[in-house]
Amino acid sequence: MSEDVRLEEISAADFFYRNKSLAGFDNPVRATYTIVRELVENALDAAEMAENPPKIQVVMAGYKERDMGSLPWYRIVVADNGIGLGPDEIPRAFGRVFVSSKYRLIQSRGTFGLGGTMALLYGQITTNMPFKVTSAKKGEPVYEITMMIDIQKNEPVVLDRRVLKGISRASFTVVESYFEGNYPRAKRKIIDYLHQTAIVVPYADITFMDPEGNFYVFPRSTDRLPPRPKEALYHPKGVDLELLQRLLQATKARTLKSFLTRHFQRVGGKTASEVLKIAGLPPDKKPSKLTKEEIERLFRALKSYDKFLPPDPSVLSPLGADLFESGIKKELRPEFVKAVQRPPSVYEAHPFIVETAIAYGGQIRPTGEIQLYRYANRIPLLYDVSSDVSYQIIKRIDWSNYGIKSPEDEPIVFFVHIVSTKVPFKTVGKEFIANVPEVAKEIELGLRNCARDLRIFLSRKRRKEMLRRRYELFRMYYQIIAETLEELLGERPPVENLLDKLRVKVGDEDGGDGGQEESP
Amino acid sequence: MEEMEVKKRALELAKEIAERIKQGEFPEIEYPPNSQKNILFDEDIGYIFSPKTYSKIRGSRVKSLKTLAGVLYGLSRALDHLENGLTMTKRDFYYVHKVERLKGTLFPEDQRETDARIVLMELILGMPREAFSITSDPRGWIYGDIELIDRSGRILRADQVGEMGYSVPPRPENIKFKRIGVKAVVAIEKVGPAKNMIELGIPEERKIAIAILQGQASRSMRRFLRMLSDEGVPIAILTDLSPWSLRIAATVIYNSINSAHIPYLASPEARFIGILTKDVEVGFFRDYQFALEPLTPADLKAAQDNQFLPNLQNEFWQRENRWFLEKKKKAEIEIFKAMSPTAKKLKELFVEYLREKLDEHLGISI
Repeated sequence: MSEDVRLEEISAADFFYRNKSLAGFDNPVRATYTIVRELVENALDAAEMAENPPKIQVVMAGYKERDMGSLPWYRIVVADNGIGLGPDEIPRAFGRVFVSSKYRLIQSRGTFGLGGTMALLYGQITTNMPFKVTSAKKGEPVYEITMMIDIQKNEPVVLDRRVLKGISRASFTVVESYFEGNYPRAKRKIIDYLHQTAIVVPYADITFMDPEGNFYVFPRSTDRLPPRPKEALYHPKGVDLELLQRLLQATKARTLKSFLTRHFQRVGGKTASEVLKIAGLPPDKKPSKLTKEEIERLFRALKSYDKFLPPDPSVLSPLGADLFESGIKKELRPEFVKAVQRPPSVYEAHPFIVETAIAYGGQIRPTGEIQLYRYANRIPLLYDVSSDVSYQIIKRIDWSNYGIKSPEDEPIVFFVHIVSTKVPFKTVGKEFIANVPEVAKEIELGLRNCARDLRIFLSRKRRKEMLRRRYELFRMYYQIIAETLEELLGERPPVENLLDKLRVKVGDEDGGDGGQEESP
Repeated sequence: MEEMEVKKRALELAKEIAERIKQGEFPEIEYPPNSQKNILFDEDIGYIFSPKTYSKIRGSRVKSLKTLAGVLYGLSRALDHLENGLTMTKRDFYYVHKVERLKGTLFPEDQRETDARIVLMELILGMPREAFSITSDPRGWIYGDIELIDRSGRILRADQVGEMGYSVPPRPENIKFKRIGVKAVVAIEKVGPAKNMIELGIPEERKIAIAILQGQASRSMRRFLRMLSDEGVPIAILTDLSPWSLRIAATVIYNSINSAHIPYLASPEARFIGILTKDVEVGFFRDYQFALEPLTPADLKAAQDNQFLPNLQNEFWQRENRWFLEKKKKAEIEIFKAMSPTAKKLKELFVEYLREKLDEHLGISI
């Protein structure tokens, strides 16, 4: 129980307060962006859990002007059509940091509630104002709860609780909070975040009213949600020592053997016995009675045993190529888009799926830099792009093989989405993906797969363009010829006949004749 | 009249192209290119344009189509000038293409583009550009007792029309000779020494004409010399002793590759009288070695190239050329100044040299 005691001693909220940078609150600009992001992620999670196409409304407004001692204060309201919470769930969901420890494995944007709570906590710390949560489940009363977080005790303090309405027709949640921040400087990142989110969550309606009075609308392009991920047990190679310890403490299993089969996937009776034999532990020993040294032996046995089947990828919920393309099309209006979903793969016993896409042309403009949109479990990653493994892979690929001279100077955007039960972030900031060989390989294969289609598209397009230019040159030259002959002979020859002959050739895309001609 | 002939040929070509278009076919122009295959060299005639292969400008290919449209457009401009009695230079012809409506098509990148088109028009029509109004700025004079009737019908005497003599016009074909009172024409590369001879009264005293080439002889000058040669007037050529001057002399005698397709520019009867290597080695200038000039790198390169020019292949030219490669020196006509302390002496030397040379090479005594 020593772990738990330590958690009690230094309140999690207190811990966060002292280590703001870990969670993305290191300065007012970053904090402004992180607050929007965390509340939107929470709202999306809630809606997806309800299996509703999400409808998220964000309103941010100035609350207090900048004065001598402080930056401006803002009021933020985020509304979702998610599962909704009952009056007793609200304080627990929003009023504590590290709200739950889950002994299960599922892909989610983050740990449920955690990011949102930290956003609210930041607001409370900077303004000393309470926040308000209004929520209802379908057919139940609407509650409005005004509360704060007791940082030392890591406990919610409900200041006011009232029923707004007897029966709600739909489930929803509205969170309202105040914070000190800097919108003008965070604006670019926030808009980028919403725009990139709209791509990876194409089934969501998102609106944003910003403090400057701008109204941004990101309408959904589809009602279809990707399938929900299934929950699954941990893979024996995917647990670390600490998690194993906590599982041993919390389990209701009475023997080690049943502990292994009940809490891990890919472990049956025979496998469990073999693992315990390697560990030198009796199968019928009570899990909670293991000594520290025995736990380590069990851990090493799990690590060394090499006959586990690979982890079950059904816990993952990739977007799917169709939805990915749909989102890209609606937000970027490209001329070409191709998305690819790679088959499930595994790194260090963590299942993952890579999805890649390439968009080209249309309303995309070259920027002089590589345009790369990165996502991890449907969250856009906006910082440290050049450190990301995807960026390095794009830099390394010889794009001329795919008809692209330099991706920096062409209207091309790359997309990489990684879904995993444990995204291999390089740093605690969770902004870029580490160069894990298994993951890098999948990203490269995915991008090359998209690029092959791009090459075909480009060569068709360029060929059409060439034929069109050629026709245009013919038209111009025969125009001169016709005018000159008219001047010399007093009669204009019918050059249109010849041009009509050419038009037939131009229209015929696969016609070999045009190709034999010299190109201009 | 040549003018009528140009018009006739141009309109024939236009009609042919219009007819093809009417029939729904891509037009073509066939012409003999001035490639090496089509050019022969004969010591007694000079360069001969003798077409064996023909090329086609096809209206069905983008690159070719540009040329075809360019030729037609060029001809239409040329005819317009002809009909209005106007001439144009190559530079003018270039500017005739620098017009708004030709942007993206015939608007030229530089003058080389339209210059090449002029040669093509010459080959297609089989006529020199001067016939279709594209002329060069006149270059070259003739001074001497020659009476001629010019294009406008005036009678002129080439030693009474200014201190340089008669300026040879771009189309000397129209000139008729009324009376030729000279024993020979000496064509001189450089203006300075030629003017000196005129100023010293040598043409009048010795009954010769001086043709001032001013460098490489212009097409009109070469045509004019050929006309005089055809009248039976002996032509002598006096140049520097240098790799370039060999070419100048040979071009007067044989014509050049670039204009090989234009007839009557060669004067095979003309004789190269000097300055020759033997004049420097053992002849007239043997005591003036100190006045020779060193070859520049460009001169030396020219001498190396001379080894392969078709019109310099006979033994005489190659022997002369080897001297440059060996000695790496050259002599200029101005060497007479180095030999003469006084104007009187200069005149004596000029006359003495010309007398010796004209006698040796043309059998004429002055």
